[in-house]
Amino acid sequence: MSAIELREVTKRFGSTTALDGLTMEVATGEVHGFLGPNGSGKSTTIRVLLGLLRADSGTARLLGGDPWQDAPTLHRRLAYVPGDVALWPNLTGGEVIDLLGRLRGGLDPARRSALLERFDLDPTKKGTTYSKGNRQKVALVAALASDVELLLLDEPTSGLDPLMEAQFRAVVEDERGRGRTVLLSSHILSEVEHLCDRVSIIRSGQIVESGTLAELRHLTRTLVVAELAVPVPEGLATAPGVHDAELDGHRLTCQVDDTELGAVMSRLSALGIRSITSTPPTLEELFLRHYDESGR
Amino acid sequence: MTGLGTLVRLALRRSRWFYLAWVLALTVVVPLTAAAYEQIVDPRNADLLIATMENNPTMRAMLGPPVDLTTAGGFTVWRVGTFVAAMAGIMAVLGVVRSTRAEEEDGRTELLRSGATGRHAPLAAGVLVALLACAALGLAVAVSMTLVGEPVVGSVAFGAGLALVGATFVGVGAVAAQLTASARTATALGLWTLAAAYTLRAVADGSTDEGVRELAWASPVQWMALTRPYADERWWVLLLPLLAALVLVALAVVLERRRDHGAGLWAARRGRAEAAGSLASPGALAVRLQRGQVIGWTVGLLLFALAMGSLSTTFGDLLEQVPQLGVMFERMGAGAEQLVDAFFVAMLSIVAVLVAVVAVQLFSRLAAEEERGHAELVLSTGATRGRLLTAYLVVAALVPVLLLVAVGAVMALNQARTSGSWGVVGEVAGAGAALAPGGLVVLGIAVLAHGWAPRLAWVTWVVVGWSLVMVWVGAALDLPEWLTELTPWAPLPQLPVEDMDWPVVLGMTGLAAALVALGAVGYRRRDITGT
Repeated sequence: MSAIELREVTKRFGSTTALDGLTMEVATGEVHGFLGPNGSGKSTTIRVLLGLLRADSGTARLLGGDPWQDAPTLHRRLAYVPGDVALWPNLTGGEVIDLLGRLRGGLDPARRSALLERFDLDPTKKGTTYSKGNRQKVALVAALASDVELLLLDEPTSGLDPLMEAQFRAVVEDERGRGRTVLLSSHILSEVEHLCDRVSIIRSGQIVESGTLAELRHLTRTLVVAELAVPVPEGLATAPGVHDAELDGHRLTCQVDDTELGAVMSRLSALGIRSITSTPPTLEELFLRHYDESGR
Repeated sequence: MTGLGTLVRLALRRSRWFYLAWVLALTVVVPLTAAAYEQIVDPRNADLLIATMENNPTMRAMLGPPVDLTTAGGFTVWRVGTFVAAMAGIMAVLGVVRSTRAEEEDGRTELLRSGATGRHAPLAAGVLVALLACAALGLAVAVSMTLVGEPVVGSVAFGAGLALVGATFVGVGAVAAQLTASARTATALGLWTLAAAYTLRAVADGSTDEGVRELAWASPVQWMALTRPYADERWWVLLLPLLAALVLVALAVVLERRRDHGAGLWAARRGRAEAAGSLASPGALAVRLQRGQVIGWTVGLLLFALAMGSLSTTFGDLLEQVPQLGVMFERMGAGAEQLVDAFFVAMLSIVAVLVAVVAVQLFSRLAAEEERGHAELVLSTGATRGRLLTAYLVVAALVPVLLLVAVGAVMALNQARTSGSWGVVGEVAGAGAALAPGGLVVLGIAVLAHGWAPRLAWVTWVVVGWSLVMVWVGAALDLPEWLTELTPWAPLPQLPVEDMDWPVVLGMTGLAAALVALGAVGYRRRDITGT
């Protein structure tokens, strides 16, 4: 059985359509990446799953129940970390962690203190005095210290520093090991690449692509900047898999399909490489590429 | 002060409707009262009426001592002047805090300060715009009073007095905004100062002791009336609020220099690392979040009740001092006892509306929780919407009703002590309880709005504001009776002067329950919007 199942879900706010017939599925036990640019409907989807918003049409199933009807029962089996964590100004981080944990049906004190240590979080500070990253840590500790089946994480690392991001990845790996299902929304491709078994890409309220990252490879291109020993031959610009090439004497800047990367590299090394940088595709480029292909 | 011009325009843009509504609502009351003067004061027995009002401690405590009731202008200054001055103070405190500390707390000022903006420019802009609103109120009052035919000189003194009392509280708000990092606390500090000033002058003006009466000079809300508009104006009195406003604003600037951006002078303390065991339900959270506010209101209202109660025993002295008055009341079939009862009724009907303000304020916290994204966090756990709503509803219903009953009981304590008959305590407490359904109906409207259309929450404040004006100064406005009676409290019996009317009391309570139930249905069905 799937942990999350959305079929043709539509949600409108006045004249704007936030979700436009969205269909997606998250299998039990998988870490599922939920990718999309700002305003594409990621948070709206999660709020529908939490029963905070009522879908105008379509069906949504969460842990085998109806997220709107059975919200409180289902919520005892899941934990949610919002993208922008708002804490009560006069409650300490520790109080918020305990409150949210208890409302979920209890949390594990040992796990709570281990997580506080791991994320290097001072629980005695008041809500107003935490930075954005520390507010996020409060919500993360509260979510991870509860014994739940499903974690809904809405851009959970957007305020964390690289060190804490690494901790977060390790913790999510642990959660996967315990057999928990994780829905991880993000606009950072590398984060999703590291953690996720499968990925759904959302655009304008619709899932435009879904599958394992390997399956989505055809979408990705690598930016290659090379300095060659000889002037760049004209033919390279039109070689298979090479796009947007710019030739400037010995210097070549171009986008290369990941499937053709090997072939292009051997051609370059045959010419003699003085220096080379390759940059993995950003999410934006991935999207641009995808939209090019779908002709939008 | 770099960027002041831009910031003033921004503050104006963000608060224009706020100030416009306040200035219009307050201005309208003034010429309406003057125009109604002929209907209220019959020239044939004006002297008797004036003597009654001058010596009635209830009227003196509520409105201040009359100076000259023989002209419409003088009557208006007495009847609504101090009320409008106090309201101008509320406008000033709310306005300054919302455009300074609230903006800073929400992180918007930081964005502005990162630009080419002086350290004190945001504060200066908020203060300037609030002063502008006070000046607009003063000007509107002066012009409208002149237009209804009152002397220009008196009208100018009236308007200037109101504007400067408002300016004093602009200063109070500006200082309060420096002390604490929370806009909510800053507003509470400012309004507390105003309430203390109003209570001080109520006690002073209601007293029969000449020495105590002089204390009214220490109350900023009274400074306009002490200028004596329309009655041989004492212009120099205006120097008091002018000076007070200047000193307070200067103090605010000095305090702002001594603190960090985003912080108050009162540093945030550390708290407990783990929550108390009881903090485990939406109800416990609602209590935890609102306990400071509840304690504040309780202390304030009980002090007010004590102060007013101390006046109630002076009625006997008064009738002894002015025997003609006693004779007059006796002819009307009333002795000191009836005077005291009427005093209790008048005070309770004001407190009944004030506790409705408490109810709406406490319940509005639920809407604030939703706006700030806290409700989303709580509802993502096992807490249901029903329990969340109930948590805030119980606090907002119980606290005001208990407060109203307690104010009644405390107000009657002094009377009971001097007369030796303690029955009056229960009687006046019961009189408070009989007025409670009015506040519950207002709360019902608030729940209904929150359940179906949270954007219409302002309607509740309109009902409360309208009721407050009607109960305080409504009688002087010469409005049709159906209009002045258009408050949730009008149908309720005013014990102990009137008899208990169970069907009305129970009916209003039932209406409140129905509104709450209807609102709860909506709340379960709608989207939780969040941030």
